[in-house]
Amino acid sequence: MSCRKRCKREFLKFAQYLFRLITGTLNADSVEDELELSAVRHRPEGLEQLEAQTRFSRKELQILYRGFKNECPSGVVNEDTFKDIYSQFFPQGDASTYAHFLFNAFDTDHDGSVSFEDFVTGLSILLRGTVQEKLNWAFNLYDINKDGYITKEEMLDIMKAIYNMMGKCTYPILKEETPRQHVEIFFQKMDKNKDGVVTIDEFIDCCQNDENIMRSMQLFENVI
Amino acid sequence: MAAGVAAWLPFARAAAIGWMPVASAPMPPPPRDKRHTRDELIILNVSGSRFQTWRNTLERYPDTLLGSTERDFFYHEETNEYFFDRDPDIFRHILNFYRTGKLHYPRHECISAYDEELAFFGIIPEIIGDCCYEEYKDRRRENAERIQDDEDNENGNDVTQLDLTIRQSMWRAFENPHTSTMALVFYYVTGFFIAVSVMANVVETVPCGTGSRAKEMSCGERYALAFFCLDTACVMIFTVEYLLRLIAAPSRYKFVKSVMSIIDVVAIMPYYIGLVMTDNEDVSGAFVTLRVFRVFRIFKFSRHSAGLRILGYTLKSCASELGFLLFSLTMAIIIFATVMFYAEKGSNSSKFTSIPAAFWYTIVTMTTLGYGDMVPKTIVGKVFGSICSLSGVLVIALPVPVIVSNFSRIYHQSQRAEKRRAQKKTRLARIRAAKSGGANAYLQYKRNGLLADAEEEASKEAGKALVCKVNPTFETQHHHLLHCLEKTTNHEFVDEQTYETSCMEVSMVKPSTSRSSSVSSSPHGLTSCCSRRNKRKSFNVPNSNMTAGRRGSVQELSTIQIRERPLSNSRSSLNAKFEETVPLNSEQQPYITAAIISMPTPPVTTPEGGDSASSPDFLQSNIVRVSAL
Repeated sequence: MSCRKRCKREFLKFAQYLFRLITGTLNADSVEDELELSAVRHRPEGLEQLEAQTRFSRKELQILYRGFKNECPSGVVNEDTFKDIYSQFFPQGDASTYAHFLFNAFDTDHDGSVSFEDFVTGLSILLRGTVQEKLNWAFNLYDINKDGYITKEEMLDIMKAIYNMMGKCTYPILKEETPRQHVEIFFQKMDKNKDGVVTIDEFIDCCQNDENIMRSMQLFENVI
Repeated sequence: MAAGVAAWLPFARAAAIGWMPVASAPMPPPPRDKRHTRDELIILNVSGSRFQTWRNTLERYPDTLLGSTERDFFYHEETNEYFFDRDPDIFRHILNFYRTGKLHYPRHECISAYDEELAFFGIIPEIIGDCCYEEYKDRRRENAERIQDDEDNENGNDVTQLDLTIRQSMWRAFENPHTSTMALVFYYVTGFFIAVSVMANVVETVPCGTGSRAKEMSCGERYALAFFCLDTACVMIFTVEYLLRLIAAPSRYKFVKSVMSIIDVVAIMPYYIGLVMTDNEDVSGAFVTLRVFRVFRIFKFSRHSAGLRILGYTLKSCASELGFLLFSLTMAIIIFATVMFYAEKGSNSSKFTSIPAAFWYTIVTMTTLGYGDMVPKTIVGKVFGSICSLSGVLVIALPVPVIVSNFSRIYHQSQRAEKRRAQKKTRLARIRAAKSGGANAYLQYKRNGLLADAEEEASKEAGKALVCKVNPTFETQHHHLLHCLEKTTNHEFVDEQTYETSCMEVSMVKPSTSRSSSVSSSPHGLTSCCSRRNKRKSFNVPNSNMTAGRRGSVQELSTIQIRERPLSNSRSSLNAKFEETVPLNSEQQPYITAAIISMPTPPVTTPEGGDSASSPDFLQSNIVRVSAL
């Protein structure tokens, strides 16, 4: 909000306060309360549209939506709730940083909240998508500023976030430079032309040539 | 982990794909999904109200009844649903817990009913949501207090005379004066003397007309001897009481520390100190001050008055409010006194000579007393004086309702406890009457059907046939059970009047010999005791088994009344005096009974008494009856 508008609002509030002081109404905060009460609500698109857009069947969408709506009755997840939920799965460590990156990856329209469409679209890619799509999604996750290149700093952030989820009590003990070393290994593998960044093509190429990665992409097919 | 979050697990697993490209080691194989069943609706029929939910919802909490296999016990095949015979209103909250993950406590429900339902469904109350937890805890505490109260009372009343030592009974007499007449007398006597002592202290100072000198004398000086004797008497009584309490106290150290004992000591100390110090003139000034402490005797009344105790307890529990009141008052007094002093400094002949002097004015004004001995004269002083009096009203009025509400709550609580105690007696009496109705049903059943002429089995059949029209299955089975008990112990149940009449009659001809071990083969007309049979082994029945009929019949315990003759018409009973012929069919009184200490087991075979009737009825006849109420 612009400065002028803010100043005007503050002045109005002060005048109201003086008025109330003199006339002595007891319900001083009623006006402000009303502004905050109208909660955000979101209704998803119809079932047919979602069926067309994603690779889930009708029944699966129904189950997904029920779970989603149960947890978030207002229909959207904001980042704090998302971090909360994700942290529940990793009690020993701090999953908030990684959850932040994950949230950005799911929030494709970047409006600050994950609606059911975002949720289901992301899941559709992860669970029912082709290998290409999945790798694309992973690249998108790593590319924090979405500029098409993964730099070492971005990768380091991601790596630190992942290692943070492990927490303190690990074996062997987590050392300060472990994430950095891991990033080095990653870049050695992925960065073909050694220009210090990883592009999408390098990434997909490299992953497709790696047995382990290919196999692990198929791991979570049957989650729903 | 909150079970609601379990719904997000598939998502978290899917998002794990983000780790794959950077993984340093190959991933473990995923777990096999053993049963990939579709989610289905489960119908829960709770006393007719049908609730439906997904199975996954219930299985979020696998350590509760509904979430585990325990619910299979309640599965009803015909209707393909789970049936629970519980309260549907409370079940609603329990099901909501599965749905939302939060357990709420409805305010209008009874706390014990709610707790029972929670226990039944295997849900721990600690997960009640914050919104309802406080209310739940409060209600639970109240309930626990009430139960504790009742238990204390019961324990207090149940202890019988025989169990206490002298010391314990003395202490009990002191603490609960209504337990015995002696205690009551003592209680009233001490109360009277407290009153007398306090009145004497008061009257002592009243001017009593001129004495030998032409000077007004107080009554105390005029009738010094009389007052001294009165004082001595009171102090002696108080001393004796204190010493007795000290001796009787279960924990002397705790007693000495208690408030009441300190009051006792302070009440009688001045007298003794006065005795010691009468000669010393220079300390007589201090002695006079000491007499002030005699007024503490009035606090001894708090033992006699529950209201006083409640007041004291309230003040103790409101200590923080009182402290706050005092503190805020002090602050206001200092502020206003300073202001008034400086405001009135200008005017001459002002009474406000210093700030402490202004304290008096401030206190008098704030408490709206307004003596008028100090008044401000300047205009500024008057303005601030009025502000002072207005604020005084506010400052005092604010903490007072807190104290008042506290007092009211504690007072009503004690009132309720008293009322409950009073009602309890009537309630118990009514319950006992209802219960004895049930016992009488059995006796009625016996008379109707059981004591029949025919074989025992047949008689039972007949009895059952007679009564099964009237009684439901439960009753017949219950009667059968009681009958089995009779057979086991070889005693029979009778009703109250019969027992009491038998007791009275027995007491009239109470034999000096009594034990069952005495063997006498000849039928003894009047002995109510004894096993007349020689070969019987004595059957020692401890007192506790004969609980029912023991009312007031402690002395009858040693008397035994045995019917050695069969019940048949041709009965030649031993104790013709006591005989009440029980006809073979029906409606007459069953045997007289008496509680016994030991009795012989009647033989299963025919008795030696050589009585004719060897009918199976005889089996019953040899039984020594015991009243069973």
